[in-house]
Amino acid sequence: MSFNVLIVDDSGSMRAIIKKIITISGFQMDQCLEAENGREAMEVLSKSWIDIIISDINMPEVNGLEFLDQLRKSETLKEIPVIMITTEGSSERMQEAFDRGAKGFIKKPFLPEDIKKILFQVIGVSENGGYIEDSGSVDECDF
Amino acid sequence: MEDTLRIQEVLMNAIFEVFEKMFFVFLEPVDEDVKYDMIASINFTGPVSGEIDVMLTSDLANSMVQNMLGVGEGGVTRKLIEDCVKESVNMVGGNFLQKYDSSKVFDLSIPVFKDESAVFTKTDAIENTWNLSFESSEGLLGVKMSFS
Repeated sequence: MSFNVLIVDDSGSMRAIIKKIITISGFQMDQCLEAENGREAMEVLSKSWIDIIISDINMPEVNGLEFLDQLRKSETLKEIPVIMITTEGSSERMQEAFDRGAKGFIKKPFLPEDIKKILFQVIGVSENGGYIEDSGSVDECDF
Repeated sequence: MEDTLRIQEVLMNAIFEVFEKMFFVFLEPVDEDVKYDMIASINFTGPVSGEIDVMLTSDLANSMVQNMLGVGEGGVTRKLIEDCVKESVNMVGGNFLQKYDSSKVFDLSIPVFKDESAVFTKTDAIENTWNLSFESSEGLLGVKMSFS
C-alpha cells in the first residue's frame, strides 16, 4: 500500500528536504504534491486524492491553523491526517493545532528520524508494514 | 544583568541547535566583525516583542543549501538560498522563544530576506539588544536580537 502525501510550506527548501526525508525513509509514498500555503493546498486537494498532509503553521495568505479549520469544514477532507511541522513550539499552540484536528506535531529544527517516526505513527502503519492498532494523536517527537 | 546573560545563553543555544541540526554547520562564537552579503529578519510578538536579524556571507549561505538539501554547487539557486536563509531566521526565532518560555504563545511574522552588504559589529550592542558573531569553516554569521 502506498500513500499520496501533500507538503504545505512556503519555503521551497523546506518542502524539498521533507520530500527527500520521506523518500529515503522507507515510507511507501506514491505521489508527493506540494503547496506554498493553505489556499494552494485546498486547490490541490480539490483535484487530487491525498492520504496524509504535512503542513507548516506560519505561512502567508492562509496559515496552517486556518488551513486546519478549512479541512474540518469539509466532509470529504476532514478525515485526512495532518502533521504540523513548525518552529512554534509552545504547548498552548500545539494544543490549538490538536484542537483543530492535527494528528501530529514536529518542531523545527528536526532530525530525519523525527519525521519518519511520526509519519508511520500517524498513518497507523509500522515501519515493517504492519498496522498499528490505534495511532490517535501523536505528540511531538522527543527532542 | 543575570537576565541579559541568560537570554544570551538561550539565544546562542537556539542558534547552535538550528545550524547544527538543519544545516550541518558548526559554529564558534567570535569577537570579529561580520562582513555579510545578505540578511533575513523576523519579528515576534507576545509577552515580549522584538526582532531577530541573521546576517551571513554568501559562502555560508551556499554551504547551508548544499548541506541541507544534499546538492552540489550547481544545484544551488538564488531562490533556494533565499528560502534557506529565511528558514534559518524563522527557526532561530521559534527555537529561541520556545527555550525562553515554552508556556507562552508568541506570534512570528513571515521572514523577510534582503540582499544587503554591510558590516555587523558586535560592539554596537545597546540595552535589550544582543549582538552575536560566529565563525564556521563555511563562513561568518552575525545574529542580532532586540526586545522592543
